Amino acid sequence: MKAFWRTGDPMVWLTGAALALALALVGGLVLLVAANGLGFFWPRAIARIALADGTVVIGEIVQREPIPQAEGDPAGRSPHRIKVKQGNRDLFGADFRWIDEADITHVAYPPNLIVVERREWGNLYGVITEVRHGGQVVVQGEDAAWDALLGRLPDAVAIHERIRWIERNDIGEINLRQERIRLALRRHGLRGSPDGPEVARLRSDQARWQQRYDERIAEVERLRVQQTATALFVVADGQEKEIPLTQIVHVLRPNSMDVVSKVSTYAVRVWGFVSGDPREANTEGGVFPAIFGTVLMVFIMSIIVAPFGVLAAIYLREYARQGPLVSAVRIAVNNLAGVPSIVFGVFGLGFFVYGVGGSIDRLFFPEALPTPTFGTGGILWASLTMALLTVPVVIVATEEGLAAIPRSLREGSLALGATKLETTVRVVLPSVLPSILTGIILAMARAAGEVAPLMITGVVKLAPALPIDRFAPFVHLERKFMHLGFHIYDVGFQSPNVDAARPAVFATTLLLLAIVVAMNLLAIGLRNRLRRRYATAAV
Amino acid sequence: MTDVSEEILLTGGRLLSARLSAGFRRTRTRRSLIDGLASRFVVAGGLLIIASILAILIVITAQVAPLFRPPTARPVAAVDLPLPSSPLAVGVDEHRQIVYLVVESAVRFASLADGRTVGEVRPDGLGDARIISVSTLGRGQFGLGLSDGRVIPVEVTFDVQFREGTRTVEPELSVQAALDVAEGEPVRHLAYTATSRGSLLAAVTGARDLTIVGIRETQALVGPSTRDIVRTRLSLPIPSEITQIVMDSRGDHAYVGWADGRVTSVDLGDPSTPKVEGSLAVTSRPEAGVSALSLLIGDRTLLVGDQEGGVTSWLILPGAPPAGLMKAHDFEGHRHRVAAVVPSRRDKGFLSLDAGGAVHVHYATTGRTLLMVSGRGDVARSISFAPKADGFVVTGPDGRLSHWALDNPHPQITLRSLFGRVLYEGYSEPTYVWQSTGATDDYEEKFSLVPLIYGTLKGTFYAMLIAVPLALMSALYTSQFMHPALKGIVKPVVEIMAALPSVILGFLAGLWLAPMIEKVVVGVFLIPLVVPLGVIPVLLLWQRLRGGGRTLRPGTEVAVLIPAVVVCVWAALRLGGAVEAGLLGGDFRTWLHQVFGVTYDQRNSLVVGIAMGFAIIPIIFTIAEDALSNVPPYLAAGSLALGATRWQTAARVVLPTASPGIFSAVMIGFGRAVGETMIVLMATGNTPVMDWSIFNGFRALSANIAVELPEAPQGGSLYRVLFLTALLLFILTFLINTAAETVRLRLRRRYQAMI
Repeated sequence: MKAFWRTGDPMVWLTGAALALALALVGGLVLLVAANGLGFFWPRAIARIALADGTVVIGEIVQREPIPQAEGDPAGRSPHRIKVKQGNRDLFGADFRWIDEADITHVAYPPNLIVVERREWGNLYGVITEVRHGGQVVVQGEDAAWDALLGRLPDAVAIHERIRWIERNDIGEINLRQERIRLALRRHGLRGSPDGPEVARLRSDQARWQQRYDERIAEVERLRVQQTATALFVVADGQEKEIPLTQIVHVLRPNSMDVVSKVSTYAVRVWGFVSGDPREANTEGGVFPAIFGTVLMVFIMSIIVAPFGVLAAIYLREYARQGPLVSAVRIAVNNLAGVPSIVFGVFGLGFFVYGVGGSIDRLFFPEALPTPTFGTGGILWASLTMALLTVPVVIVATEEGLAAIPRSLREGSLALGATKLETTVRVVLPSVLPSILTGIILAMARAAGEVAPLMITGVVKLAPALPIDRFAPFVHLERKFMHLGFHIYDVGFQSPNVDAARPAVFATTLLLLAIVVAMNLLAIGLRNRLRRRYATAAV
Repeated sequence: MTDVSEEILLTGGRLLSARLSAGFRRTRTRRSLIDGLASRFVVAGGLLIIASILAILIVITAQVAPLFRPPTARPVAAVDLPLPSSPLAVGVDEHRQIVYLVVESAVRFASLADGRTVGEVRPDGLGDARIISVSTLGRGQFGLGLSDGRVIPVEVTFDVQFREGTRTVEPELSVQAALDVAEGEPVRHLAYTATSRGSLLAAVTGARDLTIVGIRETQALVGPSTRDIVRTRLSLPIPSEITQIVMDSRGDHAYVGWADGRVTSVDLGDPSTPKVEGSLAVTSRPEAGVSALSLLIGDRTLLVGDQEGGVTSWLILPGAPPAGLMKAHDFEGHRHRVAAVVPSRRDKGFLSLDAGGAVHVHYATTGRTLLMVSGRGDVARSISFAPKADGFVVTGPDGRLSHWALDNPHPQITLRSLFGRVLYEGYSEPTYVWQSTGATDDYEEKFSLVPLIYGTLKGTFYAMLIAVPLALMSALYTSQFMHPALKGIVKPVVEIMAALPSVILGFLAGLWLAPMIEKVVVGVFLIPLVVPLGVIPVLLLWQRLRGGGRTLRPGTEVAVLIPAVVVCVWAALRLGGAVEAGLLGGDFRTWLHQVFGVTYDQRNSLVVGIAMGFAIIPIIFTIAEDALSNVPPYLAAGSLALGATRWQTAARVVLPTASPGIFSAVMIGFGRAVGETMIVLMATGNTPVMDWSIFNGFRALSANIAVELPEAPQGGSLYRVLFLTALLLFILTFLINTAAETVRLRLRRRYQAMI
């Protein structure tokens, strides 16, 4: 045994175990997020659980665990309990319910159970009994009503979409125009010309927009009146619930679905998640605005960070005289990567938002004050802050690439009479391009995942409008935006109903994880190819 | 250029060649011009980047600097008001435009800019009597004590209107019916308070006599309101003379100051039976009489000025003997008798005025005298602190008014209040507290950074406890023992690990790990024991397999170990459940509380340690692995050739050589953990407590910024203090990283020298 210890192998294995643990943690984390995130969209079977006291619970069984601190039965099996998502928040008060398995007499999965995804109050579980129109019963009987519901639903959804379209686009535009007119009038007031032909024109415009607004509102009202169809459902405890069809996102009978239709439902739900708008304080619906905000922020950041990072790297490696100053600067740049991201956020708030933004407001938007235009957090400031945060990544990656380029290449170019600029632009830069790309991709991945600096420079839980729309000037860089990472924090920790929101947060997490991991893999792959190329070039 | 030179070759004509070379020169000048411009552009761009790095430091420092700027007072104007008698009290409006002065026969309003009298109200019912005492002016509701024993409650309001960019302030005085309090005896001193239920006044009518009048108004649902008046006379058993009286704004307590330097606390909870709670000598020197009394906003601190010029503050701690008062601070004293002490209406600052006209600006929380303005030397009578605490007005006996503007935006911030123990209102001893906002306006801001720094270090400590052993052992294994083919897989995995957004780790830690660990906490503590023990049988098994002729390649142990470790962790958690049930009475949390008296928070330092440890493992790993791999190979080869085992070589040759690199790796990991925000924000309860327990949460500097900065008004004290914490983080991480980087570069040079 002593000899066994003296080989040192146990210690080697111990270090190996540490690595194994670290790798298992990474794998476990990815698996955990993937399993929870992907499972979220799968249409689960709905159970009808009869309890010993005669009551019935209908819902999805989401979890099973041993009851803490409970005595086991004589056979040594500890009692378990299950967590049921019973939905019907408006009727029962809570989405979830724990049930001791000892209290259950019977669990069945009848094919007629329906899950209704609603626009408000979360899911409803139950059976359908009637479809009504304008207060009159149109169809009665379970199957007939189900068919009628399926038949009418697309229409109702279309009308709902139409109303939303009007509210978002037409009325949104009118509000925007009216606000601009109001500001223009105020500007005239501030300049001391409270009347004149210009002002009169503005006022008539204002009246015109107001008229258009009234028309639109009337149209919405007309549409609302058109759609009076409702469906009557009976829930677990026998209560009846009448739901207007416009309140329904979609309905399913998961117990009677085959795998093919479940897969197609899965696809529909995934699409709805990535393309839809959030509902119910972000806990339901999609995350499209967050994806859009993240992508746009990262995009603006890359536009800023790429030229500056590359320029700085070229300066440090090609132009600056190598000496103690440059190496000090290099250390500073390296260390900048280690400065906490929240510090960048604080800088962004103090410099960009209040400093630069405040000055822009005073110079160009005095009519809107004291409401800030640029003097408050917005996507431009968030992107600039992120650019500063990620510029070391680009500098370091580019410098690494520049250092790997053989000196002979530059010397060859210079010997042929090319100037330094020509050498840099035509010879050095093309060969270093993959390094730059790697750096930019890594910077983008970092920016996509950082949240802390955004929290103080312009991210919000719910942005009323996207930063890009169809109204001039189309790109509204002063607007606040939504972000996937902040969405996770907000819904997971600030929402009133964390339990119900958790699956959706896992889905968002998976999305963010996938984006970041994919970007990193891309960067790693690119870099490896590059190394191979230089390795062969050096030979 | 190629086609041109070809042409030269082809034609060979001298003339053409000369012309071409002229063109060539021209393009060359242009090219070199462009090149020079570009050089400058690149240099400028590079310098810009470097400047922006510096800018971070400068911008943040610039936001912090005003915190420590000493306050200043600037004389705005001095005007002479023709007054019939010397003023008893002076007050000023919010915008410092209008002053009001109480004189013997009237309340007079004057413009502060030019001394013009804008109004004078002689209260109805004054009759032949003179006004001889005034209660604390406070928010404009006060009482006038008359020479014939009556009291007139009055209220001053200002109507502020903005018209076409100019502001007009219209003062107004509403006068209530006079109350007969002392039946002909003059009201020497008066304390008055009006509440929603009625009003209460305490009048000093004799040398030791108090008359307390409580007026309770009850509004019936129908019919007229009723008015109950309770009048009690109280003789205090102190052989001296009353010099001052104040009452708190709820009418619960009155404090009476004496000529012998004592203060008596009187409980007025029931005005019909006032209770004397006790007396205490409060002045700077025994026998120095109390000459000014005041209560700070919130009524939890009593301010005392005395005949000898001393200024002291006393915390009001209900139940603390004697008189419910505890000495808080001595302030910079005056050379003359203190004539008045007036509190600020927005913070815990106050002014003291001496008879010579000198004004001192104090801050009660910190016990600091911020500013001393010397007077004209003549007898000053009264002083008013502007409602926004941005100025004050001093009156002399002759009606001379001095108006000062005060620039004192961050009086509560000193290095001591940020980093030292501070005695706060309601606390019986000095403590470190971070509590930046409160429910009420009279809240005392508590800006101690110590709990936050403590929290940051606590979180970092637990994260390092988990990350350092794991990361360093992993790095040692990867660099020394692992098969190169596997390295190509492991290193990208670690890079992905480094790239995981911290918000994801924080989310999983807070919402998945924390509830899970709560159930298996004992098992989690067993993992570091069970895993190493479990590895040994696996090794023996592997060696037997190898002995049996089936060889695994050295360096691929990790492939076997991953499933083994997973099984071990699972076993540890099961074992933990058994230990909990068998030894700890079934529930760890109850046991913990019973045996150690420690509570268990669901989101605690253990959860943060694991999550943040996960976040910094890859950073430490990468740098340490780099240092270990770059140890010149001939060292290891020599060691192995001398017969050392691979472990001996790794532990005694490679590890010591690379130790500076490992130190640098640990430092950089430390720097990263210090600044990590989202994980600590999401995985702790964010309570700023100071407690090393692994089962409790904390609040870190970084998370504090993220939580509070969005709500902090720009330019306010909280805003600047948060910038200060960011500056601290910046400097701390910058120093750590620079040190680590320097060590690393030196190591690299050493390696180069070795080869």
